[in-house]
Amino acid sequence: MDQTNKNNNPQYDDQLADFADQVMQGKQNQPASTSTDELRSLEETILRLNSSLPPTSLDDASIKQMQVRLKARIRREEKNAKTSFWEKWFGRNVSPQLGLAFAVLAILIVAIVSVPSLTTVSPSTTGTATASVNLFIAIGLAGVVLIILWAIRRK
Amino acid sequence: MENINNPILQDPTDELLIQHFKNGRKDVFDLLYYRHLPKVYKRVRYVIPENDVEDVTQDIFIAALNSLPSFRGDAKFSTWLRTLTNHKVAEFYRKRTRKQEPPISPLSDASTHMTGSTSKTMEERIYLQRALQDLPENYKEIILLRFAEDLQFNEIAEMTNQSLEATKSLFRRAIAALRTHLEK
Repeated sequence: MDQTNKNNNPQYDDQLADFADQVMQGKQNQPASTSTDELRSLEETILRLNSSLPPTSLDDASIKQMQVRLKARIRREEKNAKTSFWEKWFGRNVSPQLGLAFAVLAILIVAIVSVPSLTTVSPSTTGTATASVNLFIAIGLAGVVLIILWAIRRK
Repeated sequence: MENINNPILQDPTDELLIQHFKNGRKDVFDLLYYRHLPKVYKRVRYVIPENDVEDVTQDIFIAALNSLPSFRGDAKFSTWLRTLTNHKVAEFYRKRTRKQEPPISPLSDASTHMTGSTSKTMEERIYLQRALQDLPENYKEIILLRFAEDLQFNEIAEMTNQSLEATKSLFRRAIAALRTHLEK
């Protein structure tokens, strides 16, 4: 029988499948005497597989012990899980409204610092005076932001 | 496992349990775990070195617990869990490869921890597991279904939507491929 015929021979397939069934039932522990060399070598592979990796089953006690260890691991991992800074402040725990408020405040700070015309200082007072007033307003707004952050953190 | 006695859970299907889980009954996961652990464990034990079997099994159930809310039920839960198991096993070997452990490393580990015939059995087991892992997916799968999960050929044929003849043919080709890998 050439290799092509062997590859398409349903009789080979049946014989090997039956052999595997018998091995799994513990009825067979050596190659069948009637087998050809090719089939015998496949049967030996099945026996090798079955002897090195025999079927196992878990009893109730083992399952429960494993379940206890799994739960302990889940608890441990939950405890150790740390949220990142960005997720903490801007993640799903922070409401969209609060996020929007932060964004508006940030834009205001940038605008006040960079656009002197938004301030109430008269045109005659120029230079360092305008810059200092803008700086104070920016610091004030930054303080408000920090107080809001601090208040959220305390919750 | 006191929840098993709850009237809501009298011999429920997996799908019903998952529905309860999605409705906030997180405790029903215990029942799913209890029901499916033996098969998952057998499959993992077949392909993962002994020392890592429980860790990988835990990884699978933690992943299942985290992904269960998004389980759509397109496939049976057992099929979904089997796919998850295969992913986690592949991930295990990927991590090992990333650590650039030499292929012989597990065998050396086995020799370090065991002596005599136990060491030889352990080495043979690891050698077979590596050979199995190197097989094409469909070959590996049929060997696992028959030997690790102890499914009959007609059950495998039904599950994989193949004829019994095609299933047995695939099985023979898988064993032949395994033999070739072992002979290398």
